[in-house]
Amino acid sequence: QWKIDDKPVKIDKWDGSAVKNSLDDSAKKVLLEKYKYVENFRLIDGRLIICTISCLFAIVALIWDYLHPFPESKPVLAFCVVSYPLQILPWLYQKEKSIFLVAHRKDPAGMDPDDVWQLSSSLKRFDDKYTLKVTFISGKTKQQREAEFTKSIAKFFDNNGTLVMEAYEPEVSKLHDSLALERKTK
Amino acid sequence: LDFLDDVRRMNKRQLYYQVLNFGMIVSSALMIWKGLMVVTGSESPIVVVLSGSMEPAFHRGDLLFLTNRIEDPIRVGEIVVFRIEGREIPIVHRVLKIHEKQNGDIKFLTKGDNNAVDDRGLYKQGQHWLEKKDVVGRARGFVPYIGIVTILMNDYPKFKYAVLFLLGLFVLVHRE
Repeated sequence: QWKIDDKPVKIDKWDGSAVKNSLDDSAKKVLLEKYKYVENFRLIDGRLIICTISCLFAIVALIWDYLHPFPESKPVLAFCVVSYPLQILPWLYQKEKSIFLVAHRKDPAGMDPDDVWQLSSSLKRFDDKYTLKVTFISGKTKQQREAEFTKSIAKFFDNNGTLVMEAYEPEVSKLHDSLALERKTK
Repeated sequence: LDFLDDVRRMNKRQLYYQVLNFGMIVSSALMIWKGLMVVTGSESPIVVVLSGSMEPAFHRGDLLFLTNRIEDPIRVGEIVVFRIEGREIPIVHRVLKIHEKQNGDIKFLTKGDNNAVDDRGLYKQGQHWLEKKDVVGRARGFVPYIGIVTILMNDYPKFKYAVLFLLGLFVLVHRE
């Protein structure tokens, strides 16, 4: 069986990026599976499209140079080479913002526009403090509220590097509920 | 097959992103190479010295940086990299004699510092001089020894493919 979505997540506890990725993925799972939000792929698709176009530019340069050997291909090559980094820049800037989930909560009554939930996180290199930030944007009032927690990853992983959902899921839910609750009392 | 676990947990978009990552790395390398071509004006801005014919100036395995600007005239004593018509391998030798016309056309003769005779024996049948079109570029700078890796990879192509395959696999499977 190829997909192992149901098996508990086990990673190398010393690999910082694997730790962050697994915490991010699991936080995503909580919002999508427990609260049944719908993921908005626009952010991710945007990144994919920018990167695909950059690769296409490189391929065009390659083929053009092959068909019209240098030095006739100089202007085309120059254009591709200059525009390539210009395209990557927005992509790099996106990565800086570190938002890894944009999800919508559809209004059950079907009348108001969707509420938007965003998740972003950070884990510094060689550090054990993981920060998860939840941002809530009300569909109705367009108001934005955020909450975050910073905890040591040791609280969520056992000695073998297995992510213990029983310890992590409540933290994520608590963060989510703190924002959802505020909304209801207003 | 534990190292595939990350991949098995990926959805379609994440899988495409991994492939894209690989593509971006290849594209970046390509763009840097093409960029160097544009900036230096040479179709092969970096070459590796393949023989000892230019010792003691250059040794087998040295990496050379070339430019090929039309504005720079070729002069006797300069080290040029040229290709003989019909042959793929560039040769790195010194210019010995030049005949120059008023309009800038030149015919020149080359010789390796460490060779006993000039390069006429290497040129095509009946060819006695080289022309500007044969020039790949002029040596402007060099880094010693580093090119040995390129020579190894060319002499042992299996080694080259193995290294490239492993690198490619690593990029495809590893999440950022």
